[in-house]
Amino acid sequence: MELYCLEDFKVEFEKLKSKKSYKTIEQELIGYFFGKTPEQLYSGTRLNHSVDAPYIKKRLSGRGGYRVYFLLVIKNDSLYLMFIHPKTGPQGSDNITDESKAYLYKKVLACIQSKDLYKLTLDKPNTKIQFDRLDSV
Amino acid sequence: MENISHKSEIIDIFSNVRNFSFEEKKAPILNEERINALLDAILDFKTNLKGKTERIYSINERIEKITWFNNLDEESLMLLNDLISVAKDLRTSLIRQYIPMGYFRKKGIAKEEIKDFKNSIDELKESFEDLESVFFFLPKMPEFVETTTKLTLV
Repeated sequence: MELYCLEDFKVEFEKLKSKKSYKTIEQELIGYFFGKTPEQLYSGTRLNHSVDAPYIKKRLSGRGGYRVYFLLVIKNDSLYLMFIHPKTGPQGSDNITDESKAYLYKKVLACIQSKDLYKLTLDKPNTKIQFDRLDSV
Repeated sequence: MENISHKSEIIDIFSNVRNFSFEEKKAPILNEERINALLDAILDFKTNLKGKTERIYSINERIEKITWFNNLDEESLMLLNDLISVAKDLRTSLIRQYIPMGYFRKKGIAKEEIKDFKNSIDELKESFEDLESVFFFLPKMPEFVETTTKLTLV
């Protein structure tokens, strides 16, 4: 399965990764999303009732932890990471509003259509996520 | 007369010290019993709280799975509405139980268990709020529904 993300996700991920409190975030994401089939990612809260393109909110890293919002497009074998935020720690925040969920949803569709996305791959020892803009891939 | 009075006073003090000495000899044993009883009570408290916390997490997980149900009819939606109401009620009761635990937490008693209990209550709130969003609020947002429709064409 191919992994992509929105600019919003990349910005938030890099901000969190640089903080000591969230140093495990990269390993958490690699462990949960990479090398998985779509079926293995059918868990969490499905926000849009869709069977073919579920919009999912997932609790990551056990209790407290992070909330990740992503879209799975089954027929394209693609996953789009949209947003991430921690629940606890210095950058911890409440869950995003329904308006924000709708905004991200609309945005991911627009970004898929315009290919305004980053493609996610792993480096050789599979310990770091690499982000490449689609137009530069 | 004076000697008799002194003698009586000495006997009284002797008796007092004797009793005190005897009580104190027994005291360490009594204290140990009390400490053991206190430790048992803390252990019971921790065990009960852990059990309750796991039960809340299990409910949260089951509520989350409802969002994967397809084509719910009107009757099911009404049941969901009732479920959301009782879950809100449950959270209120649990928060009432959590508040007095602040005293224990400050004293360092069952700190981790109380923290996890609070987290499970927070996630319960998150679960029923998400359920409400998924089945009652997001489907009423035209922008959201439109995006779902357009996504089928991608």
